[in-house]
Amino acid sequence: MKMSRLLTWPLIILWNALFWTYDRATWQYDLMVIAILAFVWLTPPTWLGDPTASGPGLVGWLLTLIN
Amino acid sequence: MTFTGAIGALCMFPLSALISVSVALRVHPNVLTFVGVLINVLAALALALGRFALAGTIMIVANVFDFIDGKVAEQLELRSAFGGFWDSVMDRFSDISLFIGLIYLYAQLGRTDYVMITALTMMFSVLTSYTRARAESVIVKCKVGFMERPERIVLFMIGAFTNRMAAVLWVICVLSILTVADRIIYTWRELNHDPIGTIT
Repeated sequence: MKMSRLLTWPLIILWNALFWTYDRATWQYDLMVIAILAFVWLTPPTWLGDPTASGPGLVGWLLTLIN
Repeated sequence: MTFTGAIGALCMFPLSALISVSVALRVHPNVLTFVGVLINVLAALALALGRFALAGTIMIVANVFDFIDGKVAEQLELRSAFGGFWDSVMDRFSDISLFIGLIYLYAQLGRTDYVMITALTMMFSVLTSYTRARAESVIVKCKVGFMERPERIVLFMIGAFTNRMAAVLWVICVLSILTVADRIIYTWRELNHDPIGTIT
């Protein structure tokens, strides 16, 4: 595969994620869902200043464990 | 079958039974739509009181009605232009009610930042539907962008059940802005005979 093609891949992925044309129940849709759920569940609520959430969240819990 | 496809198929089992009952009782689909909205208003009230788990449970019930109305209309052969219009208007009513519930909650907590984020999310959620409806009056189809109503509703439920509403609001807000932008760009390109799509 050409180097230029390899370099343009991230841009193509970014473009297709931003300009979304995929249907539901496709693997691209599944990937997006996983990314969203990861953000929602893994981001420590304090990072977002969540007014109602309690607990550090999974990432916060892991960081506490490491430290 | 994909992961989300499998979840959709699994959810269809209990829904099929409810559709059959509604068809057997010949419940008018417009009534189902309206009942769904009324239940959604209760969910908004639960959100306003900060009772997220309760709100999530009520939202599930409300959206069952919202989902089955179209299927019941189809099976009873009651599909009509007014039914479609009524459904769309009631959907907006339900969506905005939920956002108002959250705005009230955050205002009560003195969190102006989240009042603004929720208001912005509400604005772009309504614009998501409006841009598509308006675009499809000038072009054939405008089904681009990720954050449509089903995604929004499921995310709302996830936020309510797992008490991660702030993260959910950020996701809905950012992806709704992108969806509106996608639809504006798509419509502009279509009208200028310069179609745009997925790059492979």
